[in-house]
Amino acid sequence: MVTPLDIVKKKRAEAINRIVGKGYLSTKRVYVGMATCEIAAGSKEVMEVFQNAAKQGLTDVYLSQKGCAGRCNLEPTVEVVEEGKIPVKYGKVTPEMAAKIIERHLKNGEVIKEWVIN
Amino acid sequence: MDKKMITIYIDDKPYQVAAGQTVMQAADKVGFRIPRLCYHPKLSIEGACRVCIVELEGARNFIASCAYPVADGMKIRTNTPELRSARRDIVELILDNHPMDCHTCERDSNCELQRLAYSMGIRKRHFEGEMKHYEKDVSGVAVIRDPNKCILCGRCVRMCSEIQKTSVLGYAHRGFKTVVMPAYNMPFRDSSCTACGQCINVCPTAAFLEKDYTQELFKKLNDKSILKVAQCAPSVRAAIGEAFNIEPGRTMEKQLAAAIRRLGFDYVFDTQFSADLTIMEEANEFLERLQGKGKLPMITSCSSAWMKCLEQYHPDLIDHISTCKSPMSMQSAMVKTYFADKIKRDPKEILSVAFMCCTAKKYEAARPELEVNGMRATDLVITTRELAWMIKSAGIDFLAIKGEEFDHPLGLSSGAGTIFGTTGGVMEAAIRTAYELATGETLLDIEIGAVRGLQGIKEGKVVMDGKEIRVAVAHGLGNAAELLDIARKDPNRYHFIEIMGCPGGCVGGGGQPYANSNSIPLDEECLMKRAEALYTLDRNKTIRRSHENPDIQRLYKEFLGRPGSPASHKLLHTHYKQHFPVGIIPESLKQQKPAEPANK
Amino acid sequence: MPVSKYVITLCDGPSCMQKRSKQVKDVIKVELEKAGLADKVRVITSGCLGMCAKGLIMIVNPGYVIYGNVTEKDIPEIVEKHLLKKKPVARLLIEEDHLYNRFYRVFGDVNFFGKQMRIALRNCGIMDPENVDEYLALRGYEALAKVLTSMKPAEVAAEVKKAGLRGRGGAGFPTGLKWEFTAREKDPVKYLICNADEGDPGAFMDRSMIEGDPHTVIEGMIIGAYAIGAKEGFVYIRAEYPLAVKRLEKALADAKREGFLGDNILGSGFSFDIEIRLGAGAFVCGEETALIHSIEGSRGMPRPRPPFPAQSGLFGKPTVINNVETWANIPVIILDGADWFSSIGTEKSKGTKVFALAGKIKNTGLVEVPMGTTLRQIIYDIGGGIPNDKKFKAVQTGGPSGGCLPEKYLDTQIDYDSLAAAGSIMGSGGMIVIDEDSCMVNMAKFFLQFTQDESCGKCTPCREGTKRMLEILTRITEGKGVDGDIEKLERLGNMIKKSSLCGLGQSAPNPVLSTIKNFRVEYEEHIAAKKCRAGVCEGLVTYEINAKCVGCGACKRVCPTAAIAGSPKTVHVIDQAKCIKCGMCFKTCKFSAITKK
Repeated sequence: MVTPLDIVKKKRAEAINRIVGKGYLSTKRVYVGMATCEIAAGSKEVMEVFQNAAKQGLTDVYLSQKGCAGRCNLEPTVEVVEEGKIPVKYGKVTPEMAAKIIERHLKNGEVIKEWVIN
Repeated sequence: MDKKMITIYIDDKPYQVAAGQTVMQAADKVGFRIPRLCYHPKLSIEGACRVCIVELEGARNFIASCAYPVADGMKIRTNTPELRSARRDIVELILDNHPMDCHTCERDSNCELQRLAYSMGIRKRHFEGEMKHYEKDVSGVAVIRDPNKCILCGRCVRMCSEIQKTSVLGYAHRGFKTVVMPAYNMPFRDSSCTACGQCINVCPTAAFLEKDYTQELFKKLNDKSILKVAQCAPSVRAAIGEAFNIEPGRTMEKQLAAAIRRLGFDYVFDTQFSADLTIMEEANEFLERLQGKGKLPMITSCSSAWMKCLEQYHPDLIDHISTCKSPMSMQSAMVKTYFADKIKRDPKEILSVAFMCCTAKKYEAARPELEVNGMRATDLVITTRELAWMIKSAGIDFLAIKGEEFDHPLGLSSGAGTIFGTTGGVMEAAIRTAYELATGETLLDIEIGAVRGLQGIKEGKVVMDGKEIRVAVAHGLGNAAELLDIARKDPNRYHFIEIMGCPGGCVGGGGQPYANSNSIPLDEECLMKRAEALYTLDRNKTIRRSHENPDIQRLYKEFLGRPGSPASHKLLHTHYKQHFPVGIIPESLKQQKPAEPANK
Repeated sequence: MPVSKYVITLCDGPSCMQKRSKQVKDVIKVELEKAGLADKVRVITSGCLGMCAKGLIMIVNPGYVIYGNVTEKDIPEIVEKHLLKKKPVARLLIEEDHLYNRFYRVFGDVNFFGKQMRIALRNCGIMDPENVDEYLALRGYEALAKVLTSMKPAEVAAEVKKAGLRGRGGAGFPTGLKWEFTAREKDPVKYLICNADEGDPGAFMDRSMIEGDPHTVIEGMIIGAYAIGAKEGFVYIRAEYPLAVKRLEKALADAKREGFLGDNILGSGFSFDIEIRLGAGAFVCGEETALIHSIEGSRGMPRPRPPFPAQSGLFGKPTVINNVETWANIPVIILDGADWFSSIGTEKSKGTKVFALAGKIKNTGLVEVPMGTTLRQIIYDIGGGIPNDKKFKAVQTGGPSGGCLPEKYLDTQIDYDSLAAAGSIMGSGGMIVIDEDSCMVNMAKFFLQFTQDESCGKCTPCREGTKRMLEILTRITEGKGVDGDIEKLERLGNMIKKSSLCGLGQSAPNPVLSTIKNFRVEYEEHIAAKKCRAGVCEGLVTYEINAKCVGCGACKRVCPTAAIAGSPKTVHVIDQAKCIKCGMCFKTCKFSAITKK
């Protein structure tokens, strides 16, 4: 008898496979906050910058969105997560800053300390 | 409702009360009378006015006694200083947003808000401020409204939607700007209001009133060049005493005729005469339909609110409606033709005034279909309330006046005509005559109990000429809608249906006197007493069947020929057609012109 | 500030404190110095992490390595083996896969999230809300599966009752008890409603939850429906949240596709479906009976209770109606256990609460803390204190229905009863910090304007009484207050509180009454001295020209009543008798030479 718990465990495994298949295990994962407050602060434009960069061949980066993380006065936020390292949260990101983050952090691995929320 | 007895404590004393009722209901039965405003036993519980608040031990806030159910062992306090102060403040807040014109108000000395304010002992106002300002809506021909006097108790909304089920009135906007209005604040005249006037009956203040024609009448009564003819409905005599502080149930028929004559009328006729006339025509029509010359079930149409309701909401039943006019309209038609001929006066010089218990009759009198020979049959309709005021204003001592009789030839009536005023009365009167016309025998069991009483929908059976005739009676437009739905589903269930638009029948009409300080509007006991007054009058009459009325027989012999004759059809019958209130677009027109209303 | 290589989180909850967390922290600092890691490793203390049985808890990130039963003697080993050699100390490791402390895995913002405990918001900010796969990966719908596999409906309600969860919408009624009442009703048709109306101005907890993690709310609702026996559920969400509505619609569609909603959920025989209903801009429709009327298609006006919705609610059927945050807590209670949940918080208020921290504070945002945290901790430790070195004046909790608490209440613990005893309410979680530049009378007037505007108009005390209170307050802020006004406000306010039909009216006078109680002096100043000490109430401020004036004459030119006199290059003077306090000179002056007081 297949119990609901079995079904959900199977679904979970399949879901994880799908996420991994989309590139979740890339070296770097980038999350851009996309709640109403973030969008009002301009995160849609920031997301576009990252999306354009991904189209133009930014490899080994998993780009996704997230909901509000509660840091209202520092929006838009961009989070860069690397396995084995502390996640880096950038605050008050503009499209220009986003471009620089792509250049310096994602491509060259440099954490831009002045922009980090700590 | 379970009748288990429980103990509750009111003001520290124990009382045995039945379970399953509210605190207010229980307290009322043991000698309390918690002040209240929006509560009415026939309407759903609103809990809006907060005047009936009491203190419940263990509760953080006050509770509304009209809504809170009793529980075994509960401890209530009704008269603590904090409660008194809160109640007083609440009533003052209502007053602070209410016009301060008691002395020039229609309901001075008969206003529930006035009585409440007096009992609260408000002697100083602490919270005066902004007041609401709305336009009075006097567009209606029968009912007018003044939102400035409204205290938002919601009784009219509930009456209109729960009992009459026409849902004309509702709340709009919110907070301080809340106001009760017809949809889209349409003028009353254009709305789907049926003019039944029940809102006037339940309104505690002067927010709803009938359109007042007394000034116009007084002026005309002074005009010597016209002949002033009055007619008076059965229900008026059953209730007018209440406007003079007589307890309900005493008919003042003779005093009424005398008083109307003293007001300046040349002839005072009785609508009960034309009630007999209506029965003659209607019984004849019914028998014709029984033989296949028309649709069954036949539905009566003497109720004016019902006429408007029918044209708006039940147009599919128009073929079933009896084409007979109402007694008032038949009477006025006879006044301006038969009677005018008899006394050789030009009908244009006759003022036909009807004293009615009904506000919708004002609407009916203005219907163009009821014109006779190009002029209005009934010129003015005056309600019981207006008449009582006129009598007082003219300096007539209504209680001491010596009684007089109605005038001939339109004043003699049978008992059947008398009982027209109460629910089931039209049906009973019609059966009394129809039976004899059909079978040739006299109906011995003349009081038909099955159609009497205040039950919303009543059914009865009569065996006529070997055939079972099934009849039904409904009073109140809500019950009417229910009954008609039953009849639609089962077309053979009934042969004859009586509809009266007001709860209780005409005795509960929108123009009847306001409830006294020790009664409530639409009190069922009061309605039953008024009905009983009419039944007693009927019992005390020698002639109790419409066709035995000698004046009726003379009218047919001299003027109309026979029931259903061409003359009768011309003067005593009318027709109905579908009617759309302004703003309502019929389905059939929606495809053609999307945004225009059907009527201008 | 340099970015650390490691972050050590030391649990500082009451239980771990007893196990010498302070001393352990000192030892850690010493050891880090010795190892030369002092500037590369951050040590922070957090609120209770919920693993009290295995305390003292220490978490090392990245990697989310949890150490339990840590003592001072273990520190040198941890520093040497884990931090320097990257090999965790196996004997102290604990395996925990709780839902609630997932947030710490994605630390990056320790200042803000250090003392928080994200349970309802556990997934907000770390997953894509439009991707049901991510929710599944984070153990989503496992609680539902557990309930459907191995729990009976009565057991679910009992578990929630044992957890001690109280309604997060503001009233704080025990959720499990409400479910039991409804489950007990014999009517076969029952309904479930999620109240996502969130009318409080400035509150956005529910919005964030639905925009950040809609599936947790859905899962909670399905579990609740199973517990009470409902087949249909509604989410009543305000139309002013279009993105939340969109994400919720997608989440519902995904859940249906995966078989979590609809007929025969996961093969268990239980069927349940959820519909969205949009609000239309009425604050009063957040009140449960008004909300029910709104869904039924009637005017959104409350009705007297009893009967309560649990007995007769939507369409006359037994109904459970809970707030979004309440639903979000349910999956966690099921998976991590009622015992754990009831170990957080105070004796009568269990679990955590989300607050929308706003106002004059450095770190604004959503804060989720265990019940029992003090106001001071939230405002200063998490919020970062008042910016610009201003003085703290008061904190307003509970939105327009709550009260203002001054400094002496800063150490009040946050829970339903303590806040009520202090004169405020928990409400749905608004927390506005007020500094010395705000006028308390004006603030009370602002909130009363809102509740007066939103009053449904049904009952006399709220409709008329709040209007009169507002008129008095407006007069006071305009400088037209008279002796006796404060007493009138108190009299009206107390009457309205006790006589109103619904919660809106019963709590509308709260801002006024609490500011009178705590800041009566300001009211008296407004009335008697015609002075507003914060300089906010136009009409009560005095404008004066100070020594910085260079005599440019700009103010003189804009003054509408020619109240300013002075010749060029000399200090100008304002004639107070002529001044109408319009503020034009203040706005015009480029030299800050006009003071407003």
